[in-house]
Amino acid sequence: MSSDKTKPVISVRDLKKIYKIGTNRIHALDGISFDVRRGEFLAITGTSGSGKSTCLNMLAGLEQPSSGQITILGKRIDRMNEHELVAFRREHVGFIFQSYNLIASMNAEENVAMPLVFRGVPREERRAAAHKYMKLIGILDQAGHMPAQMSGGQQQRVGIARALVIDPDIMFADEPTGNLDSATTSEVLDLLRRIVREQGKTLIMVTHDAGIASAADRQIRFMDGRITEIIESRTEAADDTEATDDTEGCIGAAGESV
Amino acid sequence: MRASDLIILAIRNLLRRKTRTVLTVLGVVIGTASIVVMMSLGLGMSRSMVELYQSFGSLTTISVYSYGTDDNTKEITDETVRSFARLPHVEASSPLLQVDVEARSGSAEGYITLYGVSQEYLQQIELGSGRLPAPDQAELELVYGNMAPRMFYKSSRSGERNYGDGEILVDPMKDTIFYVFPEGSAAQARGGSGASSQASSAGSSAPSRKKYMLPAVGMVKGGPEDYNEFSWDVYCDIDTLKTFLKKIYKKNLVPYPRTNKKGKPVNYYVYNQAYIFVDKMENVSLVQQQVSDMGYQANSNMQWLEQSQQTMKMVEAVLGGIGAVSLLVAAIGIVNTMMMSIYERTREIGIMKVLGCDMNDIRNLFLTESGAIGFLGGVTGLLASCGVSALINRLAGSIEQGLGPVISSGGGISYIPPWLGAFSVLFAIGIGTVAGYIPAKRAMRLSPLAAIRNE
Repeated sequence: MSSDKTKPVISVRDLKKIYKIGTNRIHALDGISFDVRRGEFLAITGTSGSGKSTCLNMLAGLEQPSSGQITILGKRIDRMNEHELVAFRREHVGFIFQSYNLIASMNAEENVAMPLVFRGVPREERRAAAHKYMKLIGILDQAGHMPAQMSGGQQQRVGIARALVIDPDIMFADEPTGNLDSATTSEVLDLLRRIVREQGKTLIMVTHDAGIASAADRQIRFMDGRITEIIESRTEAADDTEATDDTEGCIGAAGESV
Repeated sequence: MRASDLIILAIRNLLRRKTRTVLTVLGVVIGTASIVVMMSLGLGMSRSMVELYQSFGSLTTISVYSYGTDDNTKEITDETVRSFARLPHVEASSPLLQVDVEARSGSAEGYITLYGVSQEYLQQIELGSGRLPAPDQAELELVYGNMAPRMFYKSSRSGERNYGDGEILVDPMKDTIFYVFPEGSAAQARGGSGASSQASSAGSSAPSRKKYMLPAVGMVKGGPEDYNEFSWDVYCDIDTLKTFLKKIYKKNLVPYPRTNKKGKPVNYYVYNQAYIFVDKMENVSLVQQQVSDMGYQANSNMQWLEQSQQTMKMVEAVLGGIGAVSLLVAAIGIVNTMMMSIYERTREIGIMKVLGCDMNDIRNLFLTESGAIGFLGGVTGLLASCGVSALINRLAGSIEQGLGPVISSGGGISYIPPWLGAFSVLFAIGIGTVAGYIPAKRAMRLSPLAAIRNE
């Protein structure tokens, strides 16, 4: 790994996760170490069962590691209890889901503002913040729509706005394009890249699709709980047009849709 | 999370599952209503019992007796009566100075007991007409019990007494009545008959005895058939009576004075009975106990009422318990509803946790939802029981009319005091919250990974 000028935002050292199924011990993660730089778009790839999702869950504090260290923003989250983890996510982490996970009984605006409810932000401030990010993402006209009235791409945009609304340091995305058709996939990926560039966020995306992963600045490939390959798919100076062409080519090859 | 957001979110969640919420609330409505109606019956019964006892006499009055004649019996004197008044919670006390007199009006006659009592005692008497005797007058003024005139009779030649057959022979307010006071023990002693005999009625009236004409200034409220504790007697101001008696009996003070060891009459008043007026019903038994400890016999209506009240409390508890069973069933219904809701919302709870919703907020959300079910059920149940209560009273009222004046329960047999209303709503909220506790804890512990799973 390259020695960075800035301190890494996320630092993972010798991370292990062992599941016990009956008498068998399954090593979902078997000694993983890597760093994530500030403002980086990192993709974690691998086939299903490679441990990539387990890794993301532990970075987001949704699962406890069996051993190893995870340091995010200078804090050891492997040592936090559940209350502290929830509080940490509330302050620093935005999360984008594969199946959007919008609350069906709330309209787009309320969904976007929801993380602010958990912070105890007053209603008017919540509205303002939700409007700001919905405008940024281009779904302000959908504010009053219920999730059931929106397309998958629109729902995922609401999901992205919801992740952004707390102005997080780090964003996690779990197969964000897994349920989208190819055209929408490229739109959403463009959007994510733009957010990383313009908002200066650190984004960690998990995907099984190597083509989609190539949209990231860097790819870490998992297999059987170990890192097999790290690909710097673009340099800091890489320009956006090139990147877009690149991505679209890959998606065409992958061709996964709902 | 703000409380207002919590409540709004809880209500929205309840509205999402309207049918189920309504059914669960209905369970609480029935539970609350059955408790309230059952308890209102118990309270109504005990209220009419208190009213019944009140008609027998004031519930805050204690009677003190001293009827023995041996040396061990403690005498009730003016000093003891004053010491009663100094006890805590006592508002006033009154001695009772009684004199048996013979009364005559025209051809009618009767034996009447005059009760000399304090002004505080007189104040308790509810008058039908006239006024109360003023304190310490020159002339002895009387208040007649509404049934006291029935004691006058006319003697036939053969000595039979005719009490008028329902007709009142004397109206104390209009007719002139002459009173003859007993000769007293001193006179008898002079006559050589020896020891005082209290049993001696003034039957063998000597013609030499003086007749006094005393005015009746007031009548106790009620007709000749309406009984109350003052109905049968004739009352007057004690100080006026003392002055009056002194004129007749001189140093003896009263017709039949107590005597000291030497056989001479004592030079102070000794009473057979005294009354103590207590400030509140709750303090009666306390004061009564203190008086008993001082060595006097004491009793009060409160004492009997308390015994009956204990029985009534049991009845209330049993009735309340029957009602509580249905609220228990309703509570189980709430638990069931909330559990179902958690299974349905597993994913949603997971999402909330991933997005940083505090675990305590998740618990509070579920507690608020179940508490809201309790609140809705409690308020609706209270309204329902007010309706049922009114209906019961109406039905009972019409039955009562058929039975005549045998049973009389002033405010109806079902009675919901304000505290019961407030209590039932709070209790329903409490039951809802408690019922929601286990589901809420379970929701709080749900894994956020449920949100990640893709179905």
